[in-house]
Amino acid sequence: MAKILTIFIALIFAAPVYAIDGNQLLKQVDMNLTPESFESYRKLINIEPDGKKREYILFTIKKGNDKVASLFLSPASEKGRSTLRLGDNMWLYIPNVGRAIRITSLQSVVGGVFNNADIMRLDYHVEYIVEHIEDKGGEYLLDLKAKTGAVAYDRLKMTVDKKTVVPTKIECYAATGLLIKTLYFKEMKTFDGSITRPAVVETDSPLYKGYRSIMIFAKMKKRDLPDEAFTLNFLPRVETLR
Amino acid sequence: MRGILILMGVSIWVWILSLQAFPQSEYEFDLSEIEKEIEKKPYSIGGFLEFEPILFGLDQDAALYRLNFFDRDEGSTVEQYNLGLRLEGSYQEDRVGIYFRTDSLLRYDYLGWDWEIDLLEGYLSMKPNPSLTVDVGKKVTKWGKGYAWNPVSFIDRPKDPEDPQEALEGFYVLTADLIKSLESPLKTVAFTPVIFPVLKDLNEDFGERDHINFAAKLYFLLWDTDLDLLFFTGESRTTRYGFDFARNLKTNFEVHGELALITDFERKSVDSQGSLSTRESDVLSALLGIRYLTTNEITFIVEYYHNGTGFTEDDAKNFYRFVDRAYYTFLVTGDSLPLLRGEQLVKETFARANPMRDYIYFRASMKEPFGILYFTPAVTSIVNLNDQSFTLIPELLYSPKTNLEIRFRGAFLAGTKNTEYGEKKNDYRLELRVRYFF
Repeated sequence: MAKILTIFIALIFAAPVYAIDGNQLLKQVDMNLTPESFESYRKLINIEPDGKKREYILFTIKKGNDKVASLFLSPASEKGRSTLRLGDNMWLYIPNVGRAIRITSLQSVVGGVFNNADIMRLDYHVEYIVEHIEDKGGEYLLDLKAKTGAVAYDRLKMTVDKKTVVPTKIECYAATGLLIKTLYFKEMKTFDGSITRPAVVETDSPLYKGYRSIMIFAKMKKRDLPDEAFTLNFLPRVETLR
Repeated sequence: MRGILILMGVSIWVWILSLQAFPQSEYEFDLSEIEKEIEKKPYSIGGFLEFEPILFGLDQDAALYRLNFFDRDEGSTVEQYNLGLRLEGSYQEDRVGIYFRTDSLLRYDYLGWDWEIDLLEGYLSMKPNPSLTVDVGKKVTKWGKGYAWNPVSFIDRPKDPEDPQEALEGFYVLTADLIKSLESPLKTVAFTPVIFPVLKDLNEDFGERDHINFAAKLYFLLWDTDLDLLFFTGESRTTRYGFDFARNLKTNFEVHGELALITDFERKSVDSQGSLSTRESDVLSALLGIRYLTTNEITFIVEYYHNGTGFTEDDAKNFYRFVDRAYYTFLVTGDSLPLLRGEQLVKETFARANPMRDYIYFRASMKEPFGILYFTPAVTSIVNLNDQSFTLIPELLYSPKTNLEIRFRGAFLAGTKNTEYGEKKNDYRLELRVRYFF
């Protein structure tokens, strides 16, 4: 009898934690990170163990759950290279080639530590479901599982700050359980007067020991974008939207 | 030869040195500086400077060697030094933009100095709204889904299958792009009409002069598959119809294909006397290819190409035997006329890349093996299925620092007598290409 009572009391106290809808929380995280339709600039910096660095600047537009286009503005060797993602379809446009080619969606578009999953990421709730949520005081710890095998990281462990409802850290795992990389979200900043989110995402990876990758967001703003901006024919002209 | 090998050796040593580690340091950034960096200017200018020494290992028994070198002895190797400048720029004001791309080349080889400047593209682009763009000027249209070949690319110059990612020279066209996005399994429809004049001093190397031709492409993104219907009609070349598709079967597996019907094509044939004859018929060209990415980031591209406009194995054998006889005549009598006739015949027939019927293209490239960032080794092969001759091209591509790219590659040709790669003038080729982007 005492055992049953103990379990009952434990369940009552546990209820507030499990009452949180993890998937709803994940949607809120997505909404806080990016508006539904927006443009932004990102500077990506790859830092090598010897201190040498490579910098890239990207212009990105996104609309809805499954439309993203990115354009490299620098360095000169990558300038004009653009990528379009419509759900699981992905195309790469290289100015020299003059034609957008369909690429496998897991393919990297440029060398270095960061990959397509970082550059052309869709909302987390589009690609993942929350399997487990844990209250850690000032933070929630979410266990995310990819909805399909088409996603670069099979599982994510996402730490979400309760007050701001944005991630502070995400560990990315392969299906084998191997830790591929860890993302650290830093430096909260308000963009366009209404979007308050971390301006810096730092990455390290046990696969690239000593290497770091830093993504800095700038000039993020809500923008109504036409659907036609996310088409193969428009891809060489993404620059004209700046 | 010694000079070029030393040059290549020094470059590779510099490259290896650049892979060595130096002490670690922290990196700091300033958000306001980044915001300044991304300020948009209405104009842009850039490009690259390129230096490319090439060493050719000659095949002194090959038909094409004899045509080129019958009256000179350059030894077993020849060198070539290319200095190139690519300049490209744009100016955009509201909904109108101007774009250009030029190539300048200074070359030194056994024939002496040579130079050329080409306008690859130069056009005016008007975009009244995101659904409509109108371009007028010199432009590359690049139709088709194939990587090495594009049988449906009806209004472009053929690309080099050994370097298919290189920029091409366009033609003068008036073209538009009308795009419509939909919320249905049919996600995108786009129509691209092209008006293509062939006049004196305007696109005159395309075909018969003094005609206005018309071409069009209708694109659909349907059930996550790219589909194109294409056609060309006019008096400069015969009417042709095309279809292509591309689709990701899995996230790491893409399949693509092209089919082209060329009506009333004047198919050329070579007899054993080196005489050309033509026969008019409808011909089909087709391409089927895949792109596959493995878990350890090796990308495979494999394509099969049937060139319906190509020469048969008999045509090729007739041609090579004709050159053999012409060379023998020259050795015995000193009469070079048959060889000069052979040179002319090459220009009319076998001068283009892959002039025969059936080919396989294979390429495997590995992204950053052994933890070396910005390093991509690759191997490419093109096999002529009709005569089993082939070329094998190993390649090392490395970017030791931002905007600097070094590519070292060889091309080794193999084939028996009277085969395409067996009768080319080189047995092998070694290239070093250094590009600095600005």
